[in-house]
Amino acid sequence: MKPPNTPVSLALVGCGAVSRLFYRPALRELRRHGLVELVAVVDPRPEARDPLARELGCAACASLDAALALRPALVAIATPPSLHRVQAEAALAAGCAVLCEKPLAATADDADAIVAAAARAARPLAAGHYKRFFPAHRALKTLIERQTFGPLLEATLVEGGKFAWPAATDSFFRREQTPGGVLLDIGVHVLDLLRWWLGEPADFTYADDALDGLEANARLDATFAGGARVRLRLSRDWRTENVYVFRFARAVVHCRVNAANQLEITLDDLPLTLAAELRHPLPARPAPPSRALETNPQAFLAQLVDVCAALHEHRPPFVPGAEGAAALRWVETCYARRTPLSLR
Amino acid sequence: MNTANLSTSWAVIGASGFIGLRTVEGLHGRDGVNLRPVVRSATSLAVLARRRLDWRIADPRDLPALTEALRGCPVCLHAALGDPVQIERMATIAYRACAAAGVRRLVWLSSASVHGQNPPPGTDESTPLHESHPLAYNNAKVRAERRLEQLARDGRVEVVRLRPGVVFGPRSRWITDAAADLRAGRAGWLGRGRGVCNSIHVDNLVHALRLAATVPAAAGEAFLVGDAETVAWRDFLLPIALHLGLDETAFAEPPPAPLVAERTPPLAALTRTRLYQRLGDAVPDRAKRLVKGLASAWPAPAPARDAWVLPRAPAGRLTLEQTLLQGCAWKLPHAKAARLLGYVPPVPFAAGLATSLEWLDFAEGRT
Repeated sequence: MKPPNTPVSLALVGCGAVSRLFYRPALRELRRHGLVELVAVVDPRPEARDPLARELGCAACASLDAALALRPALVAIATPPSLHRVQAEAALAAGCAVLCEKPLAATADDADAIVAAAARAARPLAAGHYKRFFPAHRALKTLIERQTFGPLLEATLVEGGKFAWPAATDSFFRREQTPGGVLLDIGVHVLDLLRWWLGEPADFTYADDALDGLEANARLDATFAGGARVRLRLSRDWRTENVYVFRFARAVVHCRVNAANQLEITLDDLPLTLAAELRHPLPARPAPPSRALETNPQAFLAQLVDVCAALHEHRPPFVPGAEGAAALRWVETCYARRTPLSLR
Repeated sequence: MNTANLSTSWAVIGASGFIGLRTVEGLHGRDGVNLRPVVRSATSLAVLARRRLDWRIADPRDLPALTEALRGCPVCLHAALGDPVQIERMATIAYRACAAAGVRRLVWLSSASVHGQNPPPGTDESTPLHESHPLAYNNAKVRAERRLEQLARDGRVEVVRLRPGVVFGPRSRWITDAAADLRAGRAGWLGRGRGVCNSIHVDNLVHALRLAATVPAAAGEAFLVGDAETVAWRDFLLPIALHLGLDETAFAEPPPAPLVAERTPPLAALTRTRLYQRLGDAVPDRAKRLVKGLASAWPAPAPARDAWVLPRAPAGRLTLEQTLLQGCAWKLPHAKAARLLGYVPPVPFAAGLATSLEWLDFAEGRT
């Protein structure tokens, strides 16, 4: 991806854990390279916004309107999902491009409304599904599409562990404020990847363990065009292996969750497993080792670089908003088809 | 007459842990009692949030916060975990918070390990406790019980102490650790697992907690509680191996761990001192995590690896705790609980183990 030539002015909305853990280091790095100019951080809580604004050397705004008055070119939204629609629509109406964290909105209808607002404003809208930037995930897409190891037969994806995200309040666990549990939280990333890799599912079943609250364990079984069968298990209850396993006709590929530039490949008829760091390709001649491809944090950076480049180049971002809306629609369909997952 | 009335709330401190979570799930809504989970942080709500519950966020070492969290509850069940210093401190704070909040009964989850992991034959609740166990956890549990007995002399809160043994069931480390050891080829047992396992299925413990909360005659007493059956360790461990497709040969017979008092690395020991923990209340969480990280990383640097070694599989091993537990020859009685509480364990050992293994299949992604 070609980096833009001049800094993109950016406002960061929401000063919670995502902003502190991901955006803060990422924006520092991009500013160091002259790729972004941070104009404001926004949060109604002064104790959240003021330290971040001081650290990042930008304005601390109590409202989005105050930040929009500073005329940023790009607004990054990292607030609770119930706020995404109103904030994205305001930013787009003000002529800003928007990068919105996942899930794109609280509901698929709201997500569609954001996508429509971006179309009306003719401004770029990017969904924060940064895991599409993982080199391992890009490699898997290539392996599936080109059938390098033959067609994909089945995949088993298990992800999650005892919940450890530093949630500042219990709003994350109240159904009236957060419309889903583990499926909406980490599952929306995985459903986005599955759609990207395999297209829309031909059929699926879904079960979770919510009673009258939010699910901590979820199971999805899907079949895709071409016959590939996928089983997905998600948990915020118990440590899982955190791995996606792909069984191709002639090989098995293990992709560890969040190991952005690593794959383990077991070729049929070869009694060993290649545990590989993914690197830039080597030429077919003697050459020193090449550089590693992006790590997890570098993939997050790549997403921001891509959105900045999309602005400069007047092209859609790599993960357009409509993709985020589609992943969320799938999540909602799962909830609509939900059957109870009984755990004794 | 029961301590609890209809439509009353019982607080569960440590509600996100293995026993606390099962207690909330098992007792909420039963007999008109609502369970109020009390957890240290919002992060701990992830699994509890499967139900709409009236939870509170309060650190069990924070007296004012805990007092506020307990208000309106006539009963408090304490199932919070902690290191040895925290265990003692939590006992004092739990009692004082209950007294200040008007809680009538505190059910303190102690442990059979107050008698040691390998108690002498004849041990029961009347056996005097001591603080010379090789495991610091045991001594802390003894001190916590003694502290509660001392505090309860003011008569403000009835205290009931439960002493379960090896609590197993879904989410239990006794199940998951055994499976992990077996799968990694490092499982070991002592004397082919013939020692007595003082097991109790978690649902039997939840049943005992309910009785301890409600039976008037329980006030001021301590109760050993366990499964109905006398279980050998091989009865517990071998079915796990068989469930994983292994057999008896998966267990090595390693030498027992030396029976010497456990030693804590110096920096970790520092974090467990009373002074550090009192100071720690004023230290930001980030700094605490840094110290904990250093404590876990130091002072055990990885030894330099010798390149000239044959690759080998891991060997079976026994920890000090396993050595003590598996050397046990005495089934701790729950006759007192049967007599005073009417405790009859509702879950047979075999059924409890079967559901635990079902859960293991789910947790490990096989179902």
